[in-house]
Amino acid sequence: MFRIETDRARFREIVRGRLRADLRKYLSTTELLGRRGDRYVSIPVPQIELPRFHYGENKKGVGQGKGEKGEPLPGEPKEGEGAGSAGEEPGTHILEVEVELEELARMLGEELELPDVQPRGDRQLLSDGGRYNGVRPAGPQSLRHFRRTYKNALKRTIAAGEWDPARPKVVPIRDDQRYRARKSSPQPDSSAVIFHVMDVSGSMGREQKDIVRIKAFWIDTWLRSQYKNLEVVYVVHDAVAKVVDQESFFHLRESGGTKISSAYELVLALIQEKYRPEDWNVYPFHYSDGDNWSARDTERCIHLLRDEILPRVNQFCYGQVKSAYGSGQFKKDLDSALEGEERLVTASVNDREGIPEAIKAFLGKGR
Amino acid sequence: MADGRTLPPALQDEALRIEAVAHEEGLDFFEVHFEMLDAKDVNAIAAYGGFPVRYPSWRFGMEFERMEKGRRYGLAKIYELVINNDPTVAYLVRTNSSVEQKLVMAHVFGHADFFKHNVWFTPTDRKMLDRMADHGTRLRSFIDEMGQDRVETFLDRALSLDTLVDPYLPLAGHLQKRRDEPRGPGGASGARSLDALLDAPSARAGPGRLPTYDVMGFLAERAPLAPWQREILRLVRAEAYYFAPQRMTRIMNEGWASYWHSRILTGGVLSASELVDFADCHSGATAAVPGQVNPYKLGIDLYRTAEARGMDLFRLRRVHNDASFVDALLDEEFAERSELFVYGRNGRTGRTEVLERSFPEVKEKLLQELAWGGLPRIELVEDDFEGRGELFLVHRHDGRDLELASAGETLKGIAELWGRPAHLVTVEEGQSRRLSSDGAQVKSNEAPSPGPAPKTEAG
Repeated sequence: MFRIETDRARFREIVRGRLRADLRKYLSTTELLGRRGDRYVSIPVPQIELPRFHYGENKKGVGQGKGEKGEPLPGEPKEGEGAGSAGEEPGTHILEVEVELEELARMLGEELELPDVQPRGDRQLLSDGGRYNGVRPAGPQSLRHFRRTYKNALKRTIAAGEWDPARPKVVPIRDDQRYRARKSSPQPDSSAVIFHVMDVSGSMGREQKDIVRIKAFWIDTWLRSQYKNLEVVYVVHDAVAKVVDQESFFHLRESGGTKISSAYELVLALIQEKYRPEDWNVYPFHYSDGDNWSARDTERCIHLLRDEILPRVNQFCYGQVKSAYGSGQFKKDLDSALEGEERLVTASVNDREGIPEAIKAFLGKGR
Repeated sequence: MADGRTLPPALQDEALRIEAVAHEEGLDFFEVHFEMLDAKDVNAIAAYGGFPVRYPSWRFGMEFERMEKGRRYGLAKIYELVINNDPTVAYLVRTNSSVEQKLVMAHVFGHADFFKHNVWFTPTDRKMLDRMADHGTRLRSFIDEMGQDRVETFLDRALSLDTLVDPYLPLAGHLQKRRDEPRGPGGASGARSLDALLDAPSARAGPGRLPTYDVMGFLAERAPLAPWQREILRLVRAEAYYFAPQRMTRIMNEGWASYWHSRILTGGVLSASELVDFADCHSGATAAVPGQVNPYKLGIDLYRTAEARGMDLFRLRRVHNDASFVDALLDEEFAERSELFVYGRNGRTGRTEVLERSFPEVKEKLLQELAWGGLPRIELVEDDFEGRGELFLVHRHDGRDLELASAGETLKGIAELWGRPAHLVTVEEGQSRRLSSDGAQVKSNEAPSPGPAPKTEAG
């Protein structure tokens, strides 16, 4: 009956067009962060209304209710709070539109010309893509298969000679009941784990962390579209490394020295214990401003990478965020010591505008 | 007779019972078709302005998206939807409780009576369901012929102008016609098709003549358009005129329906045990939203005030629109009792706050809001400005400024349709301002003079 779904689809198409056109903008702002659910990102879309002659916001109006002269209306900020009025004109309404993560990833892929990830080797995990298309004689009432149950009861009634066409009554008994059952059908699948490793030493400021956040958001979005099961592990380090939850990852501010090897050791330990490369596609991303404690520790990092980590991962990405205090030496060291290592990608980001390029460098190889 | 084919038998019986009471009370309406649907489907129909058969547009999809969000998050709930048509069509939401359904049905009969008898609705097309379906068919055939993008672009432009109609025009034309041609024996139907009225030369200045508030009519008549474009503009205009009276009578219409659902239901339709649920639901709908005017509440209060003064309610509902209704009934005592006030923005704090509670200001402000259906009055005064074939429009400023960015874009659309530049004079913060567009760019200048001398204002 309803054509509304067609019109709704058309509206969403227009929204997607806008989003695609503005994707570069979203790639360098924190606007979308925290708007992500499991499958959808909710994106605010302003100004999609048709232009019309309408009143601006300076207008007075008539209201109803209590309140002395000079008293603010309900919903207005109290004395001393910041000003700011919610738009009441149609033109300023903001509508949030949900876009599937997959779709957003596709736009990102198109915008940055990212290739699909090629699974490592020909190993494939089999996962249970079960569907309720089996039948069995026991189960919960909510899964009762009415048609089969009725059929059985009917057959039994006829076989027992109790069928009366004039009074076609069929009463199912216990043995007639049939229930839908889950039948598993193995499907090729693969899992991946991302390690977001961030340097939280004193030199990483708010802006640097925001850049890391934005990058992490888009990298997750992309890899989520490539793998059905994606786990994300957050690691922070200064002189020691530890696993933290997402919230702390983005808000923690530590200070002190930097010992990058501590983080690499932790990642390696996690790979060996929990995310074995036979079962997982492994993607460590490390973000730092490039200041390490000592040349000796950098030596240790290079050794860990070359001999232990790189052989076990799909790709190791090092993103160096420029900060006022960082020397940026670490990237130079990695580049010169590990030149020619296919699985190592390094990129430096000076500011937000550099984010898309860094993402492209990380994800552009299709590993 | 109420037709409740899609209603469950128990509700169908209720519909007939409530209808009988409504008739006894003196309400009179076209046949009312009830349909019961899921909330989602009612939202879909509401997104189409009540017409599931309407032409395709992403705007309806957007509206639906918005309403569905409100419903899913529990912010908005729709109980019913009534369409001004013969027969009157009313959609009930399946999830309404039984008391809610009774309330809603009584409410619907109130609306149905209002649609049939309020004078502002007399020129509306009572076969609008069919008409909308025709419009849909036309638009779809244009899309097949011309491609979706072209038709959509033009339709959007037309829709952006759909407030540029003269809400008083159809009735003026209707009354004029009635005076001109005494009704013959067969012509007792009263209402005439909107087209005949709008195109009648005696209707105010008539389409294509100046000055006019019917900018859409002027453009549909005179702009250099392809036939399909002209047709789209005409049908968007016809729909705008169909909806205009609803904007002009919101308080009256909702007040009338609420007055009657309350009176009918408490007059014996409900059992004693249902009255509490009814009171809960009724008071929910007519509650004063803090800081805002609720048309249901203001409307029902005005009718009750009129009733207390011994006035003829049926006559009131026939002859008034919101502005004249409020003008006739709102006095100091009522304003005080209803706690009405004027709000506005305090320039110092940036907050919206209570500015004024004194009666003359409150009434004046309310009347201003209600006049012209709450829209800015934009008059087209010249079509050959300074001898260059350019359009000149004047915003009849009443203290409320336009949102200029949006106004500029709208003006751009007008210039594009007209094929020549268009100008609009308005006022911004006390300073006269002239917007000009050639269809591609918009310029905004301080205007020393308000443009051509204002013609007599109507309304």
